[in-house]
Amino acid sequence: MAAREASKCATKVVRPLLSSDKSEAKKRVLNLYKTYYRQIPLILFDRHLPVSKEECQKKLKEEFLKNKHITDVRVIDMLVIKGQMLLQEIVTKWAQDCHVMTIFKDTVEPKPNDFLSKFVNNNDSQ
Amino acid sequence: MAFNLFNRSASKVIRNAVVPSSTSVTRGLFTGAVRSAKEDKGLEQVYSKKESLLLDTNNVIGKSANTSVQNYIEVDSKVDLSTVTGVPEEHVKTRLVKISKATKNVMQSGTDNTHNWVMEFDNRERWENPLMGWTSTGDPLSNMKIEFVDKADAINFCEKNGWKWYLEAESKARPIRAKSYANNFSWNKRTRTSTK
Repeated sequence: MAAREASKCATKVVRPLLSSDKSEAKKRVLNLYKTYYRQIPLILFDRHLPVSKEECQKKLKEEFLKNKHITDVRVIDMLVIKGQMLLQEIVTKWAQDCHVMTIFKDTVEPKPNDFLSKFVNNNDSQ
Repeated sequence: MAFNLFNRSASKVIRNAVVPSSTSVTRGLFTGAVRSAKEDKGLEQVYSKKESLLLDTNNVIGKSANTSVQNYIEVDSKVDLSTVTGVPEEHVKTRLVKISKATKNVMQSGTDNTHNWVMEFDNRERWENPLMGWTSTGDPLSNMKIEFVDKADAINFCEKNGWKWYLEAESKARPIRAKSYANNFSWNKRTRTSTK
């Protein structure tokens, strides 16, 4: 198929975003992680969030490990940039408490999977 | 004579350009001869060559060619952008994309706009809105139709965004059959029937 043809060539040469190799990208990631980790007590001091420091640290680790499968240096760089932007939003309070709490997703209801709960939750008002 | 004069003036320019730049590295306007002199570490070569001023485009616009070559990196050709696009995880992992040839308008015989490949998402739940009786949907990708020139482009786009896809078989165009009433009475065809 055409997809197999497209993925025939294993590597390609591209312009980087920030890092020139994986070790540099890794340094950036660790740097961002440490910055977040050090900022957690200050964030909790500034805001009234219903989470503890340990929960935040656990969440931080979880969010970073979620993307551990990524090997593309450019994607890692872009994620680091987005992480920096989010940190800036949190620190400067552009993101309010509710926005910070969306990271924890505690108010998101899981989608119904079985037939009966789908039937009960359906949108059909008739 | 005029040519010699020009050469002399050119070498003078080269000397003037080289002397300050040897002490401090500047990214100014350099000639090709000066650059070769820097690389070869021998100004005598340049003087003996007596070549005219050769301006490199990259030097004129202030961009050095070497750095742009060095700055390239090698990555896997299979790129997965689903983590950075901002599309919710639900709409990456659970969606199925149909890639097919654009359909012809059945009301018209023209075949324009039917040569592209279209990608469409699977249908999600729709319901009748009680306010006006119009149709509602909660699916943000429901009306997203993207056209591509080639099916490989569409497939690459789906793979890049992490969507599952399938290719709908292309319908074969039927050969055009010449229709003619006169053919029914052709002398060399069996279509001609006796009237007796």
